[in-house]
Amino acid sequence: MGNVNLSNTRHFKFHIEELNISIENIEKLARMGEGMPSYIEFLNKEINSTLLDASIEGGYIILDSDSKNDRIEVEGQVFQMGEAIAKHYTNCSQLAVFVCTAGPEVSKRSMELSQNGDLIEGFLVDILGSVIVEKAMDRIQKTLQEELLKNGLKATNRYSPGYVDWNVGEQQKLFSLLPNQFCNVSLSESSLMSPSKSVSGIIGIGKNAKYKHHVCNDCSSANCIYRNKRIKDPKNAENNCSFQ
Amino acid sequence: MNEILEQIAICVESGKINNASPFPPQMKGQDGADELTKQALDSGITAGEILQGGLMIGMEKVGVKFRENKVFVPQVLMSAKAMSAAMEHLKPFFASGEAERKGIFIIGTVEGDLHDIGKNLVAMMVEGNGYEVIDLGTDVKAEKFIEEAEKHPGSVIGLSALLTTTMNNMEKIVKAIKDNDASRKVCIGGAPVNDEFCQRIGADSYNPDPQGVVEFLNSQAS
Ligand code: B12
Repeated sequence: MGNVNLSNTRHFKFHIEELNISIENIEKLARMGEGMPSYIEFLNKEINSTLLDASIEGGYIILDSDSKNDRIEVEGQVFQMGEAIAKHYTNCSQLAVFVCTAGPEVSKRSMELSQNGDLIEGFLVDILGSVIVEKAMDRIQKTLQEELLKNGLKATNRYSPGYVDWNVGEQQKLFSLLPNQFCNVSLSESSLMSPSKSVSGIIGIGKNAKYKHHVCNDCSSANCIYRNKRIKDPKNAENNCSFQ
Repeated sequence: MNEILEQIAICVESGKINNASPFPPQMKGQDGADELTKQALDSGITAGEILQGGLMIGMEKVGVKFRENKVFVPQVLMSAKAMSAAMEHLKPFFASGEAERKGIFIIGTVEGDLHDIGKNLVAMMVEGNGYEVIDLGTDVKAEKFIEEAEKHPGSVIGLSALLTTTMNNMEKIVKAIKDNDASRKVCIGGAPVNDEFCQRIGADSYNPDPQGVVEFLNSQAS
């Protein structure tokens, strides 16, 4: 299977307003509960003031890859992700290795609110940060899919180190494939990304690559805040969470 | 039981902070934990009695409901706010030694890890259950835990981690704490942690939720 020469590295910046964040969805993810005061106005204000210039960015680099039963080889690195994840890449000959971040502003703001005693506000802004990074990554993934389609190629879902049997320590290998400080995300020795609201992972590329909706079934994270939504509403699965 | 203490417990349980706060809607316009605690003190009830007969009763109920998925994080935070409004009135009595708490709990997120939402929730619940909480923040090294614990004989340490990689640091930290003082009790928690890991690394208690650690602390205190 010959690999198509795709433009190799892409970098995107987003403005919070273009991500179409649903405030109702944030209250739902936070599980606000009955009778709680509404924070819709508060969240709208945060989006339109403190977080207006949040440095939301992300990108990917496309590399040739070779997948075996429980691993994928790429540029001399071997990702040992276990069969449950590796099986999704059997039809792939290339990988998009990605990172995406909501920027440092949102965590800073969340901490500021909490320290000020505004505990619920701080918690909601924390969730907002998680939603921002996932939404931004959805956009990047969509752009990638569209570009691939033009070349007769398809993409798998996105998968991240730390999910199912893929050890989070393999973040080190993933970051070694990216330019230094790519998208202003850095990795600590303990494989934690900074800013906190960041995600990383891989997307498989190939003529017969398959996008699967029900990936939650592979994951053991029983209390993942995204879980029920995805199982109950497969249509929503495109609102990917990189948690697979 | 004293009626005003019962009311304080209800305010904490339902997250009624003060008179001005609109939540919960059915208590609108009524005094909250803030005013009632002041009134209780003025009427001669001691800070210790308010803590034990009011705040702790309310907080325990929230903890149990949270464990049973009957309430979620925002309601717990409302309760924590009500509790801290009451605590503001009680703190001078604890500081002067006039009233005592059940014990000291030192908590922190382990070295290499920066997550703090879960750790903060645990800290709030433990405080509301009558303990003094010393929060060392995130990315805390073993030496820091040990140094603080040495200042407070009998204190219990709580460690939080959110990634499997930083769980390894938890193991190192537990070992260092136990090497320093084998009798020091250490509790652990966080999304990837479980009972098996707890036993393997020689920690004393793993709990998936804050109420579990409160129960462990109570079992140590009694
Ligand atoms: C939201 C979320 C994100 C968000 C926000 C992250 C953030 N920290 O802000 C985003 C999308 C950015 C994200 C990214 C990632 N995530 Co994430 N994420 C989550 C999720 C769904 C919820 C975390 C949360 O906020 N929980 C709410 C708080 C209140 O819960 P908590 O912290 O667990 O605390 C409770 C208990 O654990 C306990 N507790 C906590 N501490 C203590 C201490 C003591 C003493 C006791 C008794 C109890 C206790 O009490 C608390 C209250 O009940 C979890 C899954 C889950 N269900 O937990 C995964 C999870 C934490 N993420 C995970 C992973 C792998 C990642 C990434 C590495 C993925 C990637 N490669 O991109 C990145 C890492 C980000 C980074 N900066 O490095 C894994 C970690 C497991 C592992 N393998 O190491 C989890 C567990 C999901 C899974 N696979 O099962 N994530």
